[in-house]
Amino acid sequence: MLGIGVQTQNVVTDIDPAAGFSILKGAGFDNADFSLNSYLLNTDLYQDALNKFFDKSITELEDYFLPHKAGAKENGITINQMHMPYPIFIPTGKKEVNDYLVNQVIPKSLQLCSFFECPHIVVHGLKLSQFLGSEDLEWEQTEKMLDHMAPMAKEMGIVLCIENLYTGVGGHLIEGPCCNARKAVERIDRFNEKYHAEVLGFCFDTGHANLVGIDFETFIAQLGGRLKVLHIHDNDGIADLHQIPFTFAKLRENKASTDWDGFIRGLSKIGFDKVLSFETAPVLNAFPLEMKEDVLSFIAKIGRYFVAQV
Amino acid sequence: MNVGCSIKKVIDIERPGQGIRDLKNAGFQSAFFDLSVAFAKNSNGQLDRDRTEKYLNDNIPTLFSKINECGIAVDVMKAPYIEQRLRKKVTPDYLKELALKSVEIGVRSHCKFLVILPFDTDSSNSLYDYNKNVMLDAVEHLVGTNTMILVENRYKNINGHFVRGFCSDETEAVGFIDELNRIADDQYGKRIENGEYLPYFGFCMNVGTCNLCAQNMYDFAVTLGKRIKAVVLRDCNGSQDTAMLPFTSVNAMASQTDWLNLIRGLRAIHFDGELLMDFADTASAFSPILKPQVMSLAKATADYFKWQIEIERLLDKYSSRVLFGAGNMCRNYMKNYGEKYPPLFTCDNNKNVWGQTFEGLEIKNPESLKELPDDTAIFICNIYYREIEEQLRSMGLNNPVEYFNDEYMPSFHFKRIDAVTRKLDKEEN
Repeated sequence: MLGIGVQTQNVVTDIDPAAGFSILKGAGFDNADFSLNSYLLNTDLYQDALNKFFDKSITELEDYFLPHKAGAKENGITINQMHMPYPIFIPTGKKEVNDYLVNQVIPKSLQLCSFFECPHIVVHGLKLSQFLGSEDLEWEQTEKMLDHMAPMAKEMGIVLCIENLYTGVGGHLIEGPCCNARKAVERIDRFNEKYHAEVLGFCFDTGHANLVGIDFETFIAQLGGRLKVLHIHDNDGIADLHQIPFTFAKLRENKASTDWDGFIRGLSKIGFDKVLSFETAPVLNAFPLEMKEDVLSFIAKIGRYFVAQV
Repeated sequence: MNVGCSIKKVIDIERPGQGIRDLKNAGFQSAFFDLSVAFAKNSNGQLDRDRTEKYLNDNIPTLFSKINECGIAVDVMKAPYIEQRLRKKVTPDYLKELALKSVEIGVRSHCKFLVILPFDTDSSNSLYDYNKNVMLDAVEHLVGTNTMILVENRYKNINGHFVRGFCSDETEAVGFIDELNRIADDQYGKRIENGEYLPYFGFCMNVGTCNLCAQNMYDFAVTLGKRIKAVVLRDCNGSQDTAMLPFTSVNAMASQTDWLNLIRGLRAIHFDGELLMDFADTASAFSPILKPQVMSLAKATADYFKWQIEIERLLDKYSSRVLFGAGNMCRNYMKNYGEKYPPLFTCDNNKNVWGQTFEGLEIKNPESLKELPDDTAIFICNIYYREIEEQLRSMGLNNPVEYFNDEYMPSFHFKRIDAVTRKLDKEEN
């Protein structure tokens, strides 16, 4: 049975997390993607600016998130996926920052994922091909990082989900890590075989795929059962806007310029039965605050449309 | 590697004289003959089939002869493809007919390569078979010739947004080409030329299409490898299907095409085929008065790509070499080529660093270059190429002076050294 989920970011606050989960439930969601990445922003990390959030001990962090966990539970929301802060390595960054990411942020993120009883955590692959010369060499480094996480993930029953990403040249967003489904399939299978467990899976991001011209149907069909979680959002094919599906058209006919039919066909083909999770937190910044619940309801309604189609 | 230029919007099919002259004066010795120039439109903006037929039958052979008479070779032709907006009332059968007619024209004209853009249909299941059948129908024309059909990567149009289409996936393209050759070899026998196997099918990598589909061009080139016989160089902004001169689609002071991975990939496969410039939109946008200068810039750009792709050949040309410059470019030289093509030393105009060791090289006073044997090449590893070259010439040196460039290196250090302090920006991880 397909579930419908959305990010907690911009809805669930630290002041009153239960209220946020109540809004999600009221809008029609039964799952949530816990935005752990919003506690350590990538924009700060790229400036070597570490906040102190992950300095807390795991006990302190669990205490911090106890109301969130309780709020989700009392509103019948399952945390089905979580986003680890990213990037987890900055090639041009300070050693001190990279050490902190590896030794503090990664293990504590996994522990928090386990604390929320969340089965999937989305991990960004390293963006190193410009320096190392090829995507294969880049993956070797990502795999080392995943090797660092895998024993812990295995013990906790968490699936690490790699995500298709982009990189940029002159503002043009192009294929980044994990945009080749064939390679992803081979790598996931090999990795899981190494750990004798399903510790690695895939997170398909529709917006990133649209930016880099990936054929949704073919990509999803190639991934098959390795596809564990989704980041559903839309854009104009140029910028990573994280908007509501069916928002963008390019021609006067005003038909959607994102291949949602291909997306539905792909999910149908593989018999996807997990959560249709929307990564549309920025939409809530675009609409007036007063419309937040209406917007969330509309997103959930699109989710129900997808469920019916898939 | 052979550098060529598309005739589209460069040569007018009805008045070809000036365009051919511009092509020749710019230094191009090879023309990429795109048969789409034969498409004529009627007053409604739709395809005028009668006039197109006339162009194909009468004007094209004349144009071909005129280009040849000027000493410009036509090694590569491209079968006409119909833009989406002209597609109305054009059946797949007509497109197929045009493709097969193009093969006949290409063979008759002794072209080495005939590029065919695969056909587009709504069903992905039949797409593979439909294209396979069209390509195989053409093989009988190739028997007894040395013409090869090159399949080009194409995009799929999702209501104005371009995504990866047939043969855009490099692995799919490899499978397609190899299957075509296997069937053609079985059916018509293997072709041998000068003792070497000559396949019926190869690949033409259209860089603009790769850019529209935001692809990793290193992986694309490396996976297709030697099947790539031609590369069409065209720039675009990644969202609109335009053919611009490379390095002209820019934003925030940077190019919007991933030239780094393209050049890395073509270097890795030791590409030695046809390098074809297609800048029809740029050529159209400029005034005819400026066309000769645009053509010269296009030729210089094509030569630059050739030079970048073949840079290792340049390093290999000399048995001994020294570097000029002890900064990041020198560092990149040593990281990528220091072991295979070791320099004797480097030198620098900054006297504060003379005598120091940098990347395992002694930094010397440029005056020490006077002691070099005449056949030792001096590679300038500094972006002030022309200024330094003038300095070297004014020193009375007779050594070969070459430019090195590190914009498209196989790999880079994570961090660069500061030009003033000569220290890494942040500590190396």
